Amino acid sequence: MAPADGGGEQPHKAHRQHKSGAKARKKSGKGGGGDDAGGERKNPKAFAFQSAAKAKRLQSRSAEIEQRRLHVPVMDRSIGEPPPFVVVVQGPPQVGKSLLIKCLVKHYTKQNLSEVRGPITVVSGKSRRVQFVECPNDINGMIDAAKIADLALLLIDGSYGFEMDTFEFLNIMQVHGFPKVMGVLTHLDKFKDVKKLRKTKQRLKHRFWSEIKEGAKLFYLSGLIHGKYTKRELHNLARFISVIKPIPLSWRMAHPYLLVDRFEDVTPPESVRLNKKCDRKITLYGYLRGCNMKRRTKVHITGAGDFSLSGVTSLADPCPLPSAAKKRGLRDKEKLFYAPMSGLGDLLYDKDAVYININDHLVQFSKTDENDASKKQGKGHDVGISLVKTLQNTRYSLDEKLDQSFINFFGRKPAAQSEDISASQNDQGDANISEQADGNDINNADTLESNEHSYSECSSDSEHENDVTTHLSDHEVDLREKVEFCNGRLRRKAVSANFKDEVDEEGSDDDDSNTENSGDDQLSEGSVSLDDNEEALDSDDETENTSKWKESLLARTLSRRSASLMQLVYGQSSMKLDSTAPEANDNSAEESSDDEFFVPKGQKKQAKNEASSFDDMDAEDYSKFFKAELRDWSDEDLIKSIRDRFVTGNWSKAALRGEEIDENKEDDEEVYGDFEDLETGEVHKSETYENAAGNGGAHKQDDLEVDNDKKKSKREESNGGDYFDKLKEEIELRKQINISELNDLDEDTRVEIEGFRTGSYIRLEVHGVPFELIEHFDPCHPIIVGGIGLGEENTGYMQASLKRHRWHRKVLKTKDPIIVSIGWRRFQTTPVYAIEDRNGRHRMLKYTPEHMHCFAMFWGPLAPPKSGVLAVQHLSNNQVPFRISATGWIQEFNNTARIMKKIKLTGAPCKIFKKTALIKRMFTSDLEVARFEGAAIRTVSGIRGQVKKAAKIEPGDMPKRKGESTEGIARCTFEDRILMSDIVFMRAWVNVEVPTYCNLVTTALQPRGQTWQGMRTTAELRIAHNIPIPHNKDSVYKPIERKVRKFNPIEIPAKLQHLLPFKSKPKDRPKHKNTPVENRVPILMEPSEKKTYAAIQQLRLLKHEKAKKKKMQDERKKKAYEAEKAKTDQLTKKRQRDERRVRYRAEDKQKKRARR
Amino acid sequence: MGRDKSRKLSGSRHFRQRVVLSTLTSTPITIEDIRSGGAAPGLRPHEVSLLHLLHKISDHHSLDLNDTGTKLRYKPGVIVGGRDLEHDCGVHRGIGYYLEPLILLGLFARAPISIRLKGITNDTKDPSVDTFRMVTLHMLKQFGVPMEGLELKIESRGAPPLGGGEVFLRVPNINSTLKAANWVDEGMVKKIRGVSFSTRVSPQIENRIIYAARGIFNRFIPDVHIFTDHRSGSAGGRSAGYGVSVVAETTTGCLISADATISYPSVEEMNEESESSELTSPEDLGVQVASMLLEEVAQGGVVDSTHQGLLFILCALSPPDVSKVRVGQLTPYAIETLRNIQDFLDVKFIIKPDPNSNTVTLKCVGAGVKNLARKTL
Repeated sequence: MAPADGGGEQPHKAHRQHKSGAKARKKSGKGGGGDDAGGERKNPKAFAFQSAAKAKRLQSRSAEIEQRRLHVPVMDRSIGEPPPFVVVVQGPPQVGKSLLIKCLVKHYTKQNLSEVRGPITVVSGKSRRVQFVECPNDINGMIDAAKIADLALLLIDGSYGFEMDTFEFLNIMQVHGFPKVMGVLTHLDKFKDVKKLRKTKQRLKHRFWSEIKEGAKLFYLSGLIHGKYTKRELHNLARFISVIKPIPLSWRMAHPYLLVDRFEDVTPPESVRLNKKCDRKITLYGYLRGCNMKRRTKVHITGAGDFSLSGVTSLADPCPLPSAAKKRGLRDKEKLFYAPMSGLGDLLYDKDAVYININDHLVQFSKTDENDASKKQGKGHDVGISLVKTLQNTRYSLDEKLDQSFINFFGRKPAAQSEDISASQNDQGDANISEQADGNDINNADTLESNEHSYSECSSDSEHENDVTTHLSDHEVDLREKVEFCNGRLRRKAVSANFKDEVDEEGSDDDDSNTENSGDDQLSEGSVSLDDNEEALDSDDETENTSKWKESLLARTLSRRSASLMQLVYGQSSMKLDSTAPEANDNSAEESSDDEFFVPKGQKKQAKNEASSFDDMDAEDYSKFFKAELRDWSDEDLIKSIRDRFVTGNWSKAALRGEEIDENKEDDEEVYGDFEDLETGEVHKSETYENAAGNGGAHKQDDLEVDNDKKKSKREESNGGDYFDKLKEEIELRKQINISELNDLDEDTRVEIEGFRTGSYIRLEVHGVPFELIEHFDPCHPIIVGGIGLGEENTGYMQASLKRHRWHRKVLKTKDPIIVSIGWRRFQTTPVYAIEDRNGRHRMLKYTPEHMHCFAMFWGPLAPPKSGVLAVQHLSNNQVPFRISATGWIQEFNNTARIMKKIKLTGAPCKIFKKTALIKRMFTSDLEVARFEGAAIRTVSGIRGQVKKAAKIEPGDMPKRKGESTEGIARCTFEDRILMSDIVFMRAWVNVEVPTYCNLVTTALQPRGQTWQGMRTTAELRIAHNIPIPHNKDSVYKPIERKVRKFNPIEIPAKLQHLLPFKSKPKDRPKHKNTPVENRVPILMEPSEKKTYAAIQQLRLLKHEKAKKKKMQDERKKKAYEAEKAKTDQLTKKRQRDERRVRYRAEDKQKKRARR
Repeated sequence: MGRDKSRKLSGSRHFRQRVVLSTLTSTPITIEDIRSGGAAPGLRPHEVSLLHLLHKISDHHSLDLNDTGTKLRYKPGVIVGGRDLEHDCGVHRGIGYYLEPLILLGLFARAPISIRLKGITNDTKDPSVDTFRMVTLHMLKQFGVPMEGLELKIESRGAPPLGGGEVFLRVPNINSTLKAANWVDEGMVKKIRGVSFSTRVSPQIENRIIYAARGIFNRFIPDVHIFTDHRSGSAGGRSAGYGVSVVAETTTGCLISADATISYPSVEEMNEESESSELTSPEDLGVQVASMLLEEVAQGGVVDSTHQGLLFILCALSPPDVSKVRVGQLTPYAIETLRNIQDFLDVKFIIKPDPNSNTVTLKCVGAGVKNLARKTL
């Protein structure tokens, strides 16, 4: 592990610090922090809070920070060795991804990697493995890689800056669960200027921070030396990788998944030869992650589709962790790596074959380390080597083997498989449970001796499988072979019918075999007890596992009875249920009379099976269980028998009953045995469980905490230990219970109960895979096999909350196909966007809104609510600058929420009564009218109304236009009389159908270089076919021209006017010009009056004349004055100017003098 | 992806469980040969009524029944639940028949269910509503369902032939999953409670039942209280009957119940089989119920035989942790439940008999069924 120091680096001159001068003073000042800081440190009490308010504020602030740090604790259900840590190396092309992986692999294993293809597993530490995956550059690959990454190394070309790929990848990860992220800057040696380099680093760092979080790690790889990154930097990077803990992500915790690191086609070559395009059988290998996987889980292979598994087996770990001996670092031998797709390691991956590459010096004939042995076992069979190895491993003498073995006569060959597969099946050991019929009955039925000869002949042909010793005779070789074959089959025996009979004897049988002394007698019995066979087989071919079965033997004998009860329940339902079905069967079965012929079939059955309803297909459905007869509970003996089940009984006896129960209580104690909380480092003792429910337990916990608080970090302690700690404790307790309950099971049952554990190396067999998957297989693209949860294989409508990505250039249009990535799947669908109105109605939106979330309803394979949704419109690399169109999450499976769209129906009156009108052209049929009876309508001018009923108009009512039907005319009432020229309209809502379109993006079934083409958008189609956008003339906005309405005056015939009452008579006659009365009437004056009038007039005239003269005189005077004034003004101005000039000159002179 | 993904089943047995499990796992099922050989082929009215009930609380499902009713195709949708629902259960089976599936479905619904069920409240075949109220609802507590939303109110009672009872049920919907239970300690019986009822008969009958039952219980434990619930008028339903259900509570909070009902057959029935239907007297009924309860207590286990099936289903639905429960002798119904669970949920139990106490311990790792219908914001 220790990197060779200074190998590639030149020694630098050490930095010399200034010891005197300004810089030294400055540094010392900073370090000292002034007198205050020193004082505060020396005497903290003196600097305590002065104000209570301030103290409170600070306290609440720190409490808030504390609370913000907390997350809801998540239960990690994985038990045992964790799977390798997936490090996805992502970056734009030509940034150095492969080189980084190569260098890291070299760093870990000292091996040179020629090319990076597929995942590479490396043992990086004593308890840690790392799997490197290079992220392909297309968006599909990026989406897939983001779904499995535990750590993403984002490679950034420092000389160029960020590229969109990086941001896209970050965005994908944010949607599908954000794993740990580390940025790595490369190409930094392109900078010549140090200052520029520093500035760039700073800039990129801050940009990176703003994208992820303040202080996110950005790593700098300064440059290449001999085409490799420098060792010291790689060492540091490896350190960083090794300390990162994976984040529990909810989707991944709930679904099993595999990153396939080995992929094989096991279709019989014959069928391929006959039809090249036949459906294939493939096997996929990888570490199981996420959660446990059951046999019947359906899986999704990304880019290919959903498949059901036809076989799951767990294999020996190809890259095991070193044994847990106390030592520092890894020994060279333990620096394992496993990369079958890359051609690194002993397996070279090829499309149709696997080549084994073993270095000569590694082929040793002395007994090797267990790890190596297991690693090599599955791979090749050199007769010589295996011969020697089996010799080394034999435990039993030849005679013993002969005794224990048996011959199987009608051997069934497994379907033709490549040699490698069959070999690996051997590896599977205990876990291998094949579904096929067992050879058990054959064993029992036939005698040994008779057919032995012929059998040995026929099977001796298959020499290549002959991997035992040649010392054994042919006959033994056959045995060996059969044995090996049977091993796989026999495991299921616990379920078979024969087994049941032998349940009782088996205990003793096991004991016998345990001592390995079982003589010939057992064989000759004809019916050999199954376990013996099994053990014999085990011992023969799996020498490593020999000790295993011994350990589990005891456990198995203990669980024997339970197995039999389980058999009763889960075995064939045709079996009689002797323990529970009472004897009541008998009495009803007896009545067999002639009547039977004339009883209907079903009734007869019913009569027969009154009591045991197991065989009856149509049994009544009662949860209540009726006892055949009730015992008389006044009987003293009976009373005694349950006396102690009551609190009035003997408590100690009841406790004894509890004790008797407690062979499982013992387990329980194991269950709640000591365990160590790995995070806090506190050790929980077993007594904590006993009163875990009460407070006592908590108290003890506290005590323990006190004991161990030195171990704990300060943060842990400051949690306060209330609710959060309680939650965590509960989870931990739950986990311990699980572990201990499951650990006392034997391997087979455990797999059946909980499925294959995470971290185990798993082989999946899938049938019926389209041949394109194999044809276009590219190891550079990661293949992910994800388990499908309950109800996720169904399709239906989903409602998602979606927001267009702000970097995406265009808004998204309703019913335009987009590619959506949810869960493991990627599919193309046509969403309908909507927004919720105030009244809860979902109103359709034609386009996604800007800067806000909207609903998107689409059809597709269901994903549980809260799972992230990522939408992409174009898959190709060069079509748009930012490919991610929208992000969001699933809200619910909503099949009821109808998306509505507004519709306006318009019509025109065809006949108007008083306030009623017949409206035509609004509806097309009377039926439609009936649908809308009572609906509100309105005219453009605002007169409101209501649809009443469909109406027929008489032929004479309206001049019928050609082609216009009389159907769909509605009688409507209005609040006022409408005009014939009014347009009547109705506002209604119409349901928008979400198209049931969903198309899986099958990128794995086509060449990877090719862009997947799904349904195209209308716009794309128009461009492709050169169709213009349809243009509706009526939709064009034109300036509105409104003619001024001219109303003619109403002419009322004079005759009529005459008859009208005054009220109704038109009163708007034209106005007459009225002259005042004085004008119309002449005034006659008296002579005296005349005189005075004349006098006044004369006087007035005089006055006017005087005033006129006066005015003229004034004007003349004024003019003269003005002229005078102008003259003097001119003079004054001249004088003033001269004065000023003189003064300024003097001042100027003075200034000049002063200046001098 | 295969086109025909539905699971093929045949026969009408375990109709409720099949439908419920199919809904919870959203697996489409096709049941064929429903009583096809019998004189009266096809689904019985109560089964049809159950489908109607399912139709009321779920959405986007498809139910397809052929003309004779011998073949059912069911594609489950989303359970929506809802408030103020109403369902007439008919008089073929008791309300207990509908309550069991309804509780399970209600837990995994989009909205809490509150429903008014009409029909026969106390029946001989199905667990009575009293048992439900006192035992079954409390069982859910062990699986982390809060008791607040759970409620069963008996508005009126209805005895078998004509029914006329009415109950009001409220079931909360769970957030995401149940909790795995570790429920093995059966404890000792500390008290016995119960309810006896009578409809349209003399209220004295109840006292007679209680008297007889106490006579047996008193030899074991003094803390016995059986309440009387006499219903008359409209609250008493349409036919006469009486019955009792008793519950034994243990020191660890396990509830073990037994119930029985006697009702007067309707007039037509009486004519047909006049001799056979001899009514059990209240005293005999009391003794019978008491013996049944003691029988259950003697068997041991944390639940009585009636609730075994429900208990197993709840265990199998819980998150992938180990659930451990102890029951008495497995009933045929429970065994069939276990098989159905394996069929639908792919959960297998480890069944370990305990010879000393004559009980059976069952362990399983739950399937982790989540409430997918619930809306998230």
